[in-house]
Amino acid sequence: MALLERSEWYDLARATEWTPTYITMDELFPPEHSGGVGLPDDVWAAYDEPYKVSFREYVDVQRQKDEGAYSVKAALERSDLYNKADPGWISILKEHYAAVALVEYGAALQESRFARWNKAPGMRNMATFGMLDEMRHGQIQLYFPHEYINKDRQFEWSHQTMWSNNWVALGARHYFDDIMMTRDSVETSIYANFAFETGFTNLQFIGLSGDAANAGDFTFSKLIQSIQSDEARHAQLGTPLLQMLIENGQKDKAQNHIDVSFWRSYRLFTILSGIPMDYYVPLDVRESSFKEFMEEWIVTQFIKSIEDLGLEKPWYWDIFMADLDEHHHGQHLGTYSWRPTLWWDPAAGVSPEERDWLEEKYPGWNDTFGKVWDVIIDNMVNGRMDKTVPGTLPMVCNLSQLPIVGTPGKTLKDISIVHGDRKYHFASEVDKWIFQQNPERYRHHKNLIDRFLGGDIQPANLDGVLEYMGLGVIGPGGDDVHNYAWLDAYRKIELAG
Amino acid sequence: MALFPISSHFHGDFVLKLVPVDTENTMDEVAIAAAEHSVGVHVPDQPGKVIRARKQGASEPFPRTMILADTGLEPTDTVEFYYSEA
Repeated sequence: MALLERSEWYDLARATEWTPTYITMDELFPPEHSGGVGLPDDVWAAYDEPYKVSFREYVDVQRQKDEGAYSVKAALERSDLYNKADPGWISILKEHYAAVALVEYGAALQESRFARWNKAPGMRNMATFGMLDEMRHGQIQLYFPHEYINKDRQFEWSHQTMWSNNWVALGARHYFDDIMMTRDSVETSIYANFAFETGFTNLQFIGLSGDAANAGDFTFSKLIQSIQSDEARHAQLGTPLLQMLIENGQKDKAQNHIDVSFWRSYRLFTILSGIPMDYYVPLDVRESSFKEFMEEWIVTQFIKSIEDLGLEKPWYWDIFMADLDEHHHGQHLGTYSWRPTLWWDPAAGVSPEERDWLEEKYPGWNDTFGKVWDVIIDNMVNGRMDKTVPGTLPMVCNLSQLPIVGTPGKTLKDISIVHGDRKYHFASEVDKWIFQQNPERYRHHKNLIDRFLGGDIQPANLDGVLEYMGLGVIGPGGDDVHNYAWLDAYRKIELAG
Repeated sequence: MALFPISSHFHGDFVLKLVPVDTENTMDEVAIAAAEHSVGVHVPDQPGKVIRARKQGASEPFPRTMILADTGLEPTDTVEFYYSEA
């Protein structure tokens, strides 16, 4: 039996619409779930997804992707990557799988809400494929790290992190709940699909895939490629909705969505991408700095994509550009200093050669962040290891949920406001601005310090904090991934006087 | 006497730190508590100098013998600590 060409039936299938007779349109598409309040009814049928795919094509392509990724995994399982790769790369795997895998299932729920609630039939059609994408991403990123659990229990965090109160999980959940789980389908598609996936995930996966290949981890490289090719398709879901907002008098709202979601995504990526790219990826295979990567892929390409729509750079652009030089360096110092609170073993990444690279990429690094590392290194070289792990907690931003850091001697600053009966602390003017955009949305959430001071964490000491986070319960906490071998160069310098 | 958390910005450090002190502590004692978590941990020691404390953004430090309860600081307010000749 001959099959019709896709072009002969696709528009009919994608535009098929319900015509409710026993209930109202608002009952079928509750505005609080559907979104797009104020948009004319006739614009929804005009939603035009940039990628066209049929279910038959989708299944065939996805089967090929899975075959490719699983075949590479099977072929390389005996290659003993775990013991051959630089331990810094293994830490990247631990960080990635634990921070990402379960969130993919959250994204599947997000896409399923689009498939049910969005008023554009074309989007509901595409979101169905997006939902299947995200299920695949969740499954494959839980399955692949599973083989490492018998080698290293820190890989158990791939399954557990998002159920824990680890500080990274608190930050990630706050972020993903905000952009992905608690907004209507129009806002979510702009926050999660356009800003997060187009702006960051899609591009970050390109960089991560290259780093994996350079590090000899072809299994992970293939996995990431297979995910990125899905993202490239469903990340586009939000673009037509942005166009619809702009063309129907809601440009300011569209701009605000971009301004909020871009910053929130950037802050999380300083942990997920910034630290590994500049400190964990072995120096001999490191291609570009986090800043260079951001400038090429985010500053240039993402901004072009929003300017093509008629939107502008976020108002805080100068703050963002300056932040690229510093924030992730502070977060790296913080994660390394509080390494028992991590589920992975961090790489210090500050051997003399690595410091030369950092100074080249970030002029002035040795005179700012490097001065702090000098103190840490001096303690380590002289056997004062107890001084290399702080005896208290960092202050944490009430928006990003990340420690409040800055360039030593230059930009470290607390930005606080009183709202209701609480004082809130922020790591930047942008974090404060986002909170003030919608304080009812954020004001009840307690960051790690709020919980500690409020008595939620017992005993109220560092041991209690670690147990609260799941360290030593789910799996062991972090320690230097190279077993401090990088200190040998400094020991020689010390001996030479 | 009451436990009183402050946010410590020790000059030269890269992160604000939660430091528990007491409302009856003098600002010299508060500075010692803050130094415990920064000096020799993330900030080099400067022997012979004293550590002064001021509210974030203030131009003048608190008197060294002032009691914390008299400073007007609220819990979790940020205090800057810095080395001074006296």
